[in-house]
Amino acid sequence: MQSLNSNYFQLFNLPESCVLDQDKLSEAYRVQQQEIHPDRFANAPEPEKLRAIQLSSYLNEAYETLKSPLRRAAYLLSLREIDVENVDQNDLGMELLLEQIQLREQLDELPMDDSALDELDRLRMEVRVKLDSRQAKFAEHFEQEQFADAKKIYHELQFLYKLLAEIDAGEETRLGY
Amino acid sequence: MALLQIQEPGGKEAKPLHRLAVGIDLGTTNSLVSASCGMRVETLADEAGEHLLPSVVHYRKGGEPLVGFEAKAILVEDPLNTIASIKRLLGKSLSELKAEQGYLPFEFDESRGDGAPAIATAAGSKDAIRVSADILAALVARAENSLKGKLEGAVITVPAYFNDAQRQQTKDAAALAGINVLRLLNEPTAAAVAYGLDSEDQGNVIVFDLGGGTFDVSLLNLNKGVFEVLATGGDTSLGGDDIDSAIADWIAQQMESAGLTSIPSRGRLLQLANGAKHGLSDNDAFDIVFEDWSASLDVSTLQKLTAEIIGRTIRTCRRVLRDAALTIDNIDNIVMVGGSTRMPLVRDAVAEFFGKAPLTDIDPDKVVAIGAGIQADVLIGNKSSDSFLLLDVNPLSLGIETMGELVEKIIPRNTTIPVAKAQEFTTFKDGQTVMSLHVVQGERELVSDCRSLARFELRGIPAMVAGAAKIRVSFQVDADGLLSVTAEELSTGTKAEIQVKPSYGLESSLIEDMLQDSQSNAQVDMETRSIKEAQLEATQLLDAIANALVADGELLTKDEADKLALSIKDLESIMQEGSSTQIRAATEELNQVSSDFAAKRMDLHIANALRGESIDAVKNETE
Repeated sequence: MQSLNSNYFQLFNLPESCVLDQDKLSEAYRVQQQEIHPDRFANAPEPEKLRAIQLSSYLNEAYETLKSPLRRAAYLLSLREIDVENVDQNDLGMELLLEQIQLREQLDELPMDDSALDELDRLRMEVRVKLDSRQAKFAEHFEQEQFADAKKIYHELQFLYKLLAEIDAGEETRLGY
Repeated sequence: MALLQIQEPGGKEAKPLHRLAVGIDLGTTNSLVSASCGMRVETLADEAGEHLLPSVVHYRKGGEPLVGFEAKAILVEDPLNTIASIKRLLGKSLSELKAEQGYLPFEFDESRGDGAPAIATAAGSKDAIRVSADILAALVARAENSLKGKLEGAVITVPAYFNDAQRQQTKDAAALAGINVLRLLNEPTAAAVAYGLDSEDQGNVIVFDLGGGTFDVSLLNLNKGVFEVLATGGDTSLGGDDIDSAIADWIAQQMESAGLTSIPSRGRLLQLANGAKHGLSDNDAFDIVFEDWSASLDVSTLQKLTAEIIGRTIRTCRRVLRDAALTIDNIDNIVMVGGSTRMPLVRDAVAEFFGKAPLTDIDPDKVVAIGAGIQADVLIGNKSSDSFLLLDVNPLSLGIETMGELVEKIIPRNTTIPVAKAQEFTTFKDGQTVMSLHVVQGERELVSDCRSLARFELRGIPAMVAGAAKIRVSFQVDADGLLSVTAEELSTGTKAEIQVKPSYGLESSLIEDMLQDSQSNAQVDMETRSIKEAQLEATQLLDAIANALVADGELLTKDEADKLALSIKDLESIMQEGSSTQIRAATEELNQVSSDFAAKRMDLHIANALRGESIDAVKNETE
């Protein structure tokens, strides 16, 4: 049974890196939950039950964090004592700001009915391509311990994922979900 | 030393003590209870052989409530005192219930607060918790009669889409009925367990659960004994009752057009509607007859009447697929659950949307109870720890109210539970020692569009300059889907005291009153249970000794045999009439007396075993 002090990678016996084997992660997660889930302690004394809830929650948090590329990136930076919550001027270059404005405009200018669906699809693909290349860049900087640069890329990733969510939401609205 | 049950080498392991645990499906229309019977889990029947227990309770002055078929028979005659579909009232306020479209034939007790509605009956005020408890008690009685023992625990199912208040009230009802709740299990997950273990399929499964009053869709992944819910959606106010209602409206219209002067009561109309609905599952047209009037309802009209309702269910399926980031092609199986899925129109709509025929092998009325019974067996400890594991999710996002009556989401929907999230707050004013938090459930941005869960008051914050305090509030959702909150002021390490004011249901003091009433009965119950346990242990010991005497009785001298016989007789006589303490004392006495016999048997069997082993093996050990 792992303690609450292990970092998320240690918890799943995975190397601390930007690249993650999703299958290995899922497998390790399932194996751990099988052991410590509250259902295994349904008839145990109260302190054991509480401990199981704590551990299981921690496991879930760790799994969700490592599963998501964005959250994993933030977590890796935090392990190097880089706080992504603190955004300062230097983190956002002019290039990024222009890109943000441009993509945002494209999204906002679309009509509210389903004639926009194709354009939304195209926009989504464009954002995904940018995400892939940014993710690779993040990995590069991180591996070479250029953490300040990695942090800049992280903020770009943050913006792109947010835009992706807005594209999805825009699609849902137009489809009437 | 206890008498050992000595087996031949290589013989079967002794069976572990089987503890009585059941699964309970507390449904809107019908309830069921299931238990492990040998190799399978099966639903239990009443004396008349009926497995379903209609979730109907009839209250009468100065008498015990009637639960089930008897109550259902009185439903149309006496709607004020006969309560059906109580599940639709759980976790809701009085004003909400009055505003909800739907037939509520009873009268509310107007003296109760908006948050804790109760129905006025001939036997007094009955709220949803009490009525549900009466149904649960009937199921417990059925189980204890069938299984001949005291219930040690139960898994009770709830719609996956039930919010915190609805879940808490279900748990409160169980406490009132004296049930030890092992787990609140989501109905679609229970169904998946029943199917999953039956078919040993792997892959992605959609559980489409349309009951009398609630609708759930869950998407699960089954893999190597782990059932993981990926996403869930639903509507706790959508079900077969609404279909009946639509048909009843049509019948009333037809009657009016035909010039009928006196339209029957709403209750009677619903009864006719329900009959027609069932009839159309097997035929293309059904004749509805009322006194001199009759009309034919055909399938195509039924389709029009139910289009909106069925449409809503399909839209929810779409949503769930998106939440899980999967498409129809990723779905391996669809499982239909709930009586309403017997309607061909529903099955066809689902098959069309998913592009494949849904599974319906297990009785859709029983599948949830069976799944619950399977999990109950595991949780009580009757099964080894290699059993399957259920990973469920919270169905609704949890958030707190922030400035401008907006919601800030703390735990998003479809997060695997249990889950804990912490959020930091600070104080507004100098010296502020109390802080109030409003927790809501829902997906919308405005607090008013979400469901109020509770207001938490944090007290005992050390007085500081405004903004200096760092209060970490931790939100914990447990495996039952229930929220609890703890708080700590970080700079001083003070744990703030939290008082919860639930938005719905009773204040905890009222619940305590209700529980105290049932507890005075509990004292008597406990001694009865204690005696039963002592008798069980005594019987096991007596059986073991009887077997041992048959096998190796000749090992005893005459004196030893007489002494043993006397001790056996003492225990046998005190077992019938004695208190639990007395029985245990006599059992221990017999244990002592037989210990020498046990030792002799042990020696003999070891000697025999050694003689039976190969010469080579013995040689190896001594080398």
